[in-house]
Amino acid sequence: MRLIPVEFKFRLYFRIGRLSGVPVALFLVAVLLLPGCARDTSYPNRPISLICPWSAGGGTDRVARQIASQLEREMGVPVNVINATGGGGVTGHTRGALARPDGYSMTMITAELNMLHWRGLTNITYRDYRPLMKVNQDNAALFVRKDAPWQNLEELAEAIRENPGNLQASGTAFGGVWHVSLAGWLLEAGLSADDVTWISINGSAPSLQELMAGGVDMVACSFPEAKSLYDAGEIRSLGVMAEDRLADYPEIPTFGEQGYDWSSQTWRGLAVPDQISDARYDQLLQAVKEVVESEEYHRFLENSGFGSSAESPEAFLQFLSEENQTYGKIFNSQAFEDVVSQRYGPMFFPYIILALMGLILLKLIVSADLKLAEEANAMQQADYGYMALMIGAVIIYLLFAEQLGFVISAMLILALLLWQLNVNWSTAVLVILVVVPLSYQLFAVYLRVPLPWGLFGW
Amino acid sequence: MIEAIIQAIQQVILSPSIWLVILLSAVYGISLGAIPGLTATMAVALFVPITYWMDPVPALAGIATMAACAIFAGDIPTTLLRIPGTPASAAYVDDAYAFTRRGESEKPLGMALVGSVMGGLFGAVVLILLGGQLAKIASMFSVAEYFWLYLLGLSSAVVVARGPVLKSLLGLLIGLLLALVGLSAVHTEARFTFGFPQLYQGISFIPAMIGLFGFSEVLRKTIDLDTDLFTGGIPGEERSTLSSAGFLERWLIGPVTSLFRGPFSMIANRKRSFLRSGFIGSLIGMLPGAGADMASWVSLAASKKASKEPDNYGKGSLEGIADATTANNSALAGTWIPALVFGIPGDSITAIMIGVLLMKNLNPGPEIFVNQPVLVYSIYVAFIAANIALLVVGYFAIKAGRFVIRIPQRILLPVILLFCIIGSYAIQGSYFDIVIMLFMGVLGFFLERRAIPLGPIVLGIILGGPLEERFIQTITGSEGLILPFFDRPVAAILGIGFLVLWGWTIWSSRKEQ
Repeated sequence: MRLIPVEFKFRLYFRIGRLSGVPVALFLVAVLLLPGCARDTSYPNRPISLICPWSAGGGTDRVARQIASQLEREMGVPVNVINATGGGGVTGHTRGALARPDGYSMTMITAELNMLHWRGLTNITYRDYRPLMKVNQDNAALFVRKDAPWQNLEELAEAIRENPGNLQASGTAFGGVWHVSLAGWLLEAGLSADDVTWISINGSAPSLQELMAGGVDMVACSFPEAKSLYDAGEIRSLGVMAEDRLADYPEIPTFGEQGYDWSSQTWRGLAVPDQISDARYDQLLQAVKEVVESEEYHRFLENSGFGSSAESPEAFLQFLSEENQTYGKIFNSQAFEDVVSQRYGPMFFPYIILALMGLILLKLIVSADLKLAEEANAMQQADYGYMALMIGAVIIYLLFAEQLGFVISAMLILALLLWQLNVNWSTAVLVILVVVPLSYQLFAVYLRVPLPWGLFGW
Repeated sequence: MIEAIIQAIQQVILSPSIWLVILLSAVYGISLGAIPGLTATMAVALFVPITYWMDPVPALAGIATMAACAIFAGDIPTTLLRIPGTPASAAYVDDAYAFTRRGESEKPLGMALVGSVMGGLFGAVVLILLGGQLAKIASMFSVAEYFWLYLLGLSSAVVVARGPVLKSLLGLLIGLLLALVGLSAVHTEARFTFGFPQLYQGISFIPAMIGLFGFSEVLRKTIDLDTDLFTGGIPGEERSTLSSAGFLERWLIGPVTSLFRGPFSMIANRKRSFLRSGFIGSLIGMLPGAGADMASWVSLAASKKASKEPDNYGKGSLEGIADATTANNSALAGTWIPALVFGIPGDSITAIMIGVLLMKNLNPGPEIFVNQPVLVYSIYVAFIAANIALLVVGYFAIKAGRFVIRIPQRILLPVILLFCIIGSYAIQGSYFDIVIMLFMGVLGFFLERRAIPLGPIVLGIILGGPLEERFIQTITGSEGLILPFFDRPVAAILGIGFLVLWGWTIWSSRKEQ
């Protein structure tokens, strides 16, 4: 049944030179499908996705891409980094844990995995993952401007004690890892966690910018993130939150040396969904081990200023469970709950927007300005048919792509649309056979862009 | 210093391998930027593993070229299909598409290419001459200044949009509201998620943009299919009058001059506008967190305010396209200013660039200018070379683009729909983004029928999050609601500028009535 009445016969006037389209199309298809011919069922036989919960260009993304490019050589298939960002890490960590446990998706988990569930943002914990290896760890440090009056932590703590709530700090969003680092130190120093006002700024780079501009008095973040400004002499470090001094910067004392038993760090590690089969897990682990222990990877960490910390699965799991408990204590402490409740709540800004919007809508309705534009014709019944067709095609794709994969679903909706738009069948076949394999080749093979893989692997 | 410059020029200009890298990066950047949903950031991130085996100069030259080319290439689908290839093109989508409707798609594309190249060159010159000084200004910007800056950027969208101010404002507020969906960055609390965990990530602006412009256009075109059945949208594409001329004349010199003569003379005739747009681009680009998207809006707004024919904006204004494309490419060089001088990345592309520098054991910051002057000058020279490559590769991209509009609509529309789906899924491999694309497409279709402009919605989605962040950050640190926005000198200047702009807009619209 056609949704749209047939009113015109549509002729093909679209040809490639003088050749008839069909042989050209068949030739193209043959060329494009050649690389995909040698199909087998061994693992791995198609690209692996590495989910990164943070955006492209950040530290986690850089580590992920380095590992991906080395893992690619180990595994013999492409390893594509997918930045599943948003929600302060919720999106990526959730997607990674709920991914199909077939060994074709793994996740770069970060310290936030142990924090998000304590704050009620997700149900996912480290137990939903089977950890592979920890691949990096960076200790936090506390930074102030070069002209700041405090020379050490003692003086800073004294200044905070005299004027609680007067000084401002940042480094990440509220409740983020560096916020916990600072709060932990304040508690250790016998102060309250809200004696320093935490300005919620997303990310260490904008926080450091704010420190330079004089908007905040101190920034807590990992050392590599502030390395350039530190080297430039624009900022000083009052201490690193580590057990030992940093090898490259031995002039900075640790918090422990200054009398505060406090260390804090962020880390990154690789993990897969916990339902994965043992055989595939072992194979992946072997490859990951090769990469993480390679000289190339260590050189990368060293050059980028990232701390190295390779931990075996058992040690990593142990670490995850211990850290999870530490964070549980901090997040459940009364002091931290006080900090999180803020003067200007989350609905403060939305209410302003909604109020403005209400005013404008009211004005537009009163002056009858919301009527149809001049160039818009009234919609006919057939027009709704067309709309339903286009929307339906997207919904069909949404319903079937996960199971059938990109190639079949795309062919399906193209066929449906071309048929309903009265394109004759030989042209339609030609279009489908050119467009689908070509876009598959372009996106999945050359550009490494994620496409739904489906159960058949394409 | 002179010696270092000469050495740098020799290193870049005389090295065939660097030119090869630049040329390949240009082709790569153009093809990625031309596909809606794939961004310049993505192009650069995918390039990173290759840079491990390259010397620093070719690696950075490749990144600079890719970024410049991808931003221009975004104008190609903007013009031909009304789908902005990158958010930086969303400001002038109606202007550019108006020409395609008249069968003159090469005019805006030629203008965009020349504007981008000249803007890129201008940005490079600013980076070279004023980089150090501008970086000092950038480091004075705190959250209060950014708050005003974002408000000024949002106001530009209202200034630029066609039609009554109230309707553009409504569009803007819809965008801002959509931006608030999900986990708020300041409070890390979920809002407007209605119990859907997928909504925690919020409405990503790439699928939203593809939906608003691309999918809604597909809907509109299918409905209009009966009226223009055979045309591929080329009612009278200008035919070459050189058929009797020789081979070289017909295939090379003729088309090249016909594409470039107009745009170049236009820029030559509008020197003041060109300088204004270039400076707007560099200034906004150098501020971390602003970037090319905002530069193109602000520049277009300034262009409209200064123009003698402001009514033409939004209906096909070449002046507007010239000024906006100049600004967005000049902003690209601007983002390298704080990145090189302080090691603070202005956007995700420079964040990746810093990563590559660190990999090569080079530490961005004031020292790099002292210890590695040749490298720094080589980057400058590479910027200039990148824009020359853009001019050449962009020309062929425009010519290849003509192929698209010759395809009959009945075949083209389903394929565009497929690309809308792929593009929204590509950014983070999420089905939910396809749902957003679908929803925003239908929303855009109905809003446009009521003449509510779509451009401000896109800018609202992009800037809504940062605006709220800066707002809350500014008022958390201090007492009172109004004072903190004015108690720093730069903030006060920006704030008063904002109030004057709106006072003037309201006053002049009153006078018209």
